[in-house]
Amino acid sequence: MTTYDDRASLTDLTATVERVRSSVEGVIEGKPEVVRLSLTVLLAEGHLLIEDVPGVGKTMLAKALARSIDCSVRRIQFTPDLLPSDITGVSIWDQQRRDFEFKPGAIFAQIVIGDEINRASPKTQSALLESMEERQVTIDGQTYELPSPFMVVATQNPVEMEGTYPLPEAQRDRFMARVSVGYPSVEAELQMLDVHGGASPLEDLQPVAHAHDIVKLIDAVRGVHVAEPVRRYAVELVSATRSHPDLRLGASPRATLHLLRAAKAAAALSGREYALPDDVQALAVAVLAHRLLPTAQAQLNRRSSEQVVQEILQRTPVPSAPQQSGFGGLGRAGYGQPPRRLG
Amino acid sequence: MSGRTRMALCAAAATLLTACALLPLVSPAGWLVQAAFLLAIQTGVGMAARRVPLARPLTVAVQALAALLLLTVVFAGRQAIAGVVPGPDAFRYFGDLLRAGGDDVSRYSIPAPLSDGIRLMLVGGVLVIGLAVDTVAVTFRSAAPAGLPLLALYSVAAGLSEGGADGLFFVLAAVGYLMLLLAEGRDRLSQWGRVFSGGPRAPGAEPSGAVAPVRTGRRIGAVALGIALVVPLALPAMDGGLLDTAGRGGGGGSGDGGTVSAVNPLVSLRDSLNVDEDREVLSLKTNSTDISSMYLRIVSLDRFDGTTWQPSKRSIEAVPDRFPTPSGLSPGIKRTEVETTIRAANWYAQNWLPMPYPPSRVDISGNWRYEPLGMTVVGDRRQTTRGMTYTVRSLDVQPTAKQLAEAPEAPEALQREYTELPDTLPAVVASTAREITKGAANHYEQAVKLQDYFTITGGFRYDTEVKVGTGRDAIANFLRDKEGFCVHFSFAMAAMARSLDIPTRVAVGFAPGTPQGGGKVTVGLKDAHAWPEVYFEGVGWTRFEPTPSRGSAPAYTEPESSDSTLPDPARPTQSASTGPSASASAGESCEQGGPAPCASESPAAAPAGGGDGPRWYPALAWALGGLAVLLIPSVPLLWRLRTRAVRLAGQGRTPSDVALHTLAVWRELTDTAWDFGIAPDDSQTPRRTAARIVRLGRLDPPAADAVHRVADAVEQVLYAPQPRPPAGLAEEVRRVRSDLASRAGRAARLRALLAPRSAVRVVWGLAERWALVRRRIAAARPTWTRPSAPGQRG
Repeated sequence: MTTYDDRASLTDLTATVERVRSSVEGVIEGKPEVVRLSLTVLLAEGHLLIEDVPGVGKTMLAKALARSIDCSVRRIQFTPDLLPSDITGVSIWDQQRRDFEFKPGAIFAQIVIGDEINRASPKTQSALLESMEERQVTIDGQTYELPSPFMVVATQNPVEMEGTYPLPEAQRDRFMARVSVGYPSVEAELQMLDVHGGASPLEDLQPVAHAHDIVKLIDAVRGVHVAEPVRRYAVELVSATRSHPDLRLGASPRATLHLLRAAKAAAALSGREYALPDDVQALAVAVLAHRLLPTAQAQLNRRSSEQVVQEILQRTPVPSAPQQSGFGGLGRAGYGQPPRRLG
Repeated sequence: MSGRTRMALCAAAATLLTACALLPLVSPAGWLVQAAFLLAIQTGVGMAARRVPLARPLTVAVQALAALLLLTVVFAGRQAIAGVVPGPDAFRYFGDLLRAGGDDVSRYSIPAPLSDGIRLMLVGGVLVIGLAVDTVAVTFRSAAPAGLPLLALYSVAAGLSEGGADGLFFVLAAVGYLMLLLAEGRDRLSQWGRVFSGGPRAPGAEPSGAVAPVRTGRRIGAVALGIALVVPLALPAMDGGLLDTAGRGGGGGSGDGGTVSAVNPLVSLRDSLNVDEDREVLSLKTNSTDISSMYLRIVSLDRFDGTTWQPSKRSIEAVPDRFPTPSGLSPGIKRTEVETTIRAANWYAQNWLPMPYPPSRVDISGNWRYEPLGMTVVGDRRQTTRGMTYTVRSLDVQPTAKQLAEAPEAPEALQREYTELPDTLPAVVASTAREITKGAANHYEQAVKLQDYFTITGGFRYDTEVKVGTGRDAIANFLRDKEGFCVHFSFAMAAMARSLDIPTRVAVGFAPGTPQGGGKVTVGLKDAHAWPEVYFEGVGWTRFEPTPSRGSAPAYTEPESSDSTLPDPARPTQSASTGPSASASAGESCEQGGPAPCASESPAAAPAGGGDGPRWYPALAWALGGLAVLLIPSVPLLWRLRTRAVRLAGQGRTPSDVALHTLAVWRELTDTAWDFGIAPDDSQTPRRTAARIVRLGRLDPPAADAVHRVADAVEQVLYAPQPRPPAGLAEEVRRVRSDLASRAGRAARLRALLAPRSAVRVVWGLAERWALVRRRIAAARPTWTRPSAPGQRG
């Protein structure tokens, strides 16, 4: 791992990110944490799943993010009749060259907005699998690299809504984080009426960063230091999901990876050159919750996977010292055992 | 049953159980039933008042009023207005009763008769304690401090019964208190909701087992109780553990080990009380013809330390079938064997067996041991004479004056041991002795002259009310004032005889009692007596009687030639006569020095701390005990101070030292916050912990900044690739601490200082070590177990 000691590019990073953020926040009002999470996922080379009821600005968020960055953007409206080839592309016979010619699909862009992704059939949803994880598309034995940066921002309605196909676990696992926008506050909604009443703010949105800026930023994020206790903490959190009685399926090792990458990005966003357990904690719900399958009993009890993750966070001690270093004796379990809770 | 009801009942039960410790103090135990009844009413009133609900002070007032009314009805119904309302008359009557009760207490020995005064004191006392316990535990919902009134009650009982309070009573009191604590714990737990025991349970069914915390609590209670009972046994020189069996009787085994602890029967008599009635202590039936020489010896005091006489520590053994010939008794001396059957009163609890001297055989049941040198029989494992009937065969040795006069010198060792005198003995004792015995040719004549000096020629007067004083000059004072009673006479004569190199010791026991005809004799309290015994080689220990008007001078002390006419009327055979005039003086003894073995009165006529052995030993034990008592509660404080000093000490130079220091400082900061009530939470990151401390501690901005700086430093140390923690963190912690302290109340500050919460880490640390040890043991165990077929493993 390259050590990150280039302070200048860290300030660059924060400045660039700040620009993108204010640009996006000009469109999505009153939701700074959602915007921040989106940027975190972007810098951590992840994909974002925005899940919420219709009309709260999912697509708006995706578009604003895409527009603020000067890069290629494609938007796919997922519908029940969408075919996998519409996403990945097709090879068609070129009469003149007497050869198959590859027509790239919608996925060949730097930011792909997949709108209402759970309206497409599972077959089509699965077409995204390889591209999202390996950043490449293989058609007829031919592998095509996807551009960099590459980010899928998908929106979906909650699975309970009509006409939806729930995403398969493998698909969900490929999204780094799931975020829900939520209804705006009264003030934010009032302001939105003022701003959006005349024209769409998206129209006025100008790119504030270039794609290769983002690539550099991503490089910088890779260099963020993650100390052993933080890594251990992330692993402990994730493994706690695997043994939790309320969960049928825990989080995968990929989830651990995503959690740490996101934590690094969050640290970089805060202008820090090292990740903290705080970063892990702040991202744990967004990164882990959508991968977990609650048991039927937990569902009956209306326990959401978010609640489970929260509970795990409250239960897992934060490691305070590297296991094998000279800090031994200062506590096997961090800062001290919590007093027994009575209630 | 609601929690409060249960607690009220437990409080009443605890009071009653503790009050049981008072049972041995008075003879009919009926008062307890009365007290229980009244206490039940008082508790009921309290429960009703709380149900209403009344304000807390009002509840207490109502209960107190109820108690007063109850006492009035029971004790002063005739003096009260309408039989219920206590008017001035009733209060005056209460005062009189209490005064009478006080007099009774000081007059009667234990167990005292249940006079109205004593009954009022007992019942009223139980009600007052019950009210205190009820108020603290139920009305103010704090069961733990309710132990104090209970302890007070128990201490009074234990103190009055002179250590006679049984282990049983302690267990009863402790069980009562634990019940109270348990009820409170349950009540508190139930306030959080339903108490779960974990496993599923049929609705309505009795809980199959106790709720886990309750079970733990019970175990802790049982263990603590066990420790309280057992530990005193193991502590050296602290006489009187609750189960003190071996303490006074010597080795617990049935073999021949052990020693008689040196217990001075006189000491426990010091506070014996004057008695109006001459209670019967022993009744004997003997075939002896000469009842006037039927002295019953309890023990012999052979060590004189200048102020008092004490028995030595001796080894004891099983009671032999037939006792050996008494030391020094040669075959040529005339003797007859007499058989005496003695029955001790039910209330008379003495550790030594009163027997005629020298005994040759004892038939008795119980745990009795034999001390060969003194030829005494000692109760082992709290064995006392209470209600015992036993038969003693003893020798009535009848030497002639000639035999005594011709007795050779005693063996060297014996001579040395029994003529030992402290240097502090005033010279006047020896000089007086020499003066009196001028012209005496041998020890026998010297002894007779001494006896005559006290009984006839010296002009001494028998008076139980004299104040000769205690201490070294007591004997000198006695010789000057010429007034005293048996203890003074016997002590003085023994000391003087020793000063003349005559081996002497002081016997304690009973003078011959009142013959009832047919060989029956009654020995009463007032027959308690002390007399010197002088050793003559060839005859053994020989009784002398220097006390005028008590006992009878032995025949051999009256040389055929001597003027035997004078003393005779002065020495009636019967001592403690039953006549009124004698009883007025005879019984009132025992005020000082070592009052007559009038003893017996204190049923446990026993042992107050063994004054034997090296002096510094008990003192050291007490000092250490006191130190421990002082130190143990301050352990948390001391631990905390030390930990703080260590954690905040120098920062170190190498990066790893700095890192360690930073972490220690952080630990100190969180612990400090913990001491002030902000419990640590493992699942919080340093940053959040800092925010939490600032929020909960309501710190002012500088202190809040200090907390955050320390947290930042910890983050750096723990998570940054190249930590650069700032210096001066220890100072930040001190600032935070002072700010926390300034915001906390006085009680919280005191608690943080004296009983810091974070001191529980010591316990955790120990628990962890213990767990480690157990794991190691468990890991080592498989090598011992029988190898089983692998297939059988799960």
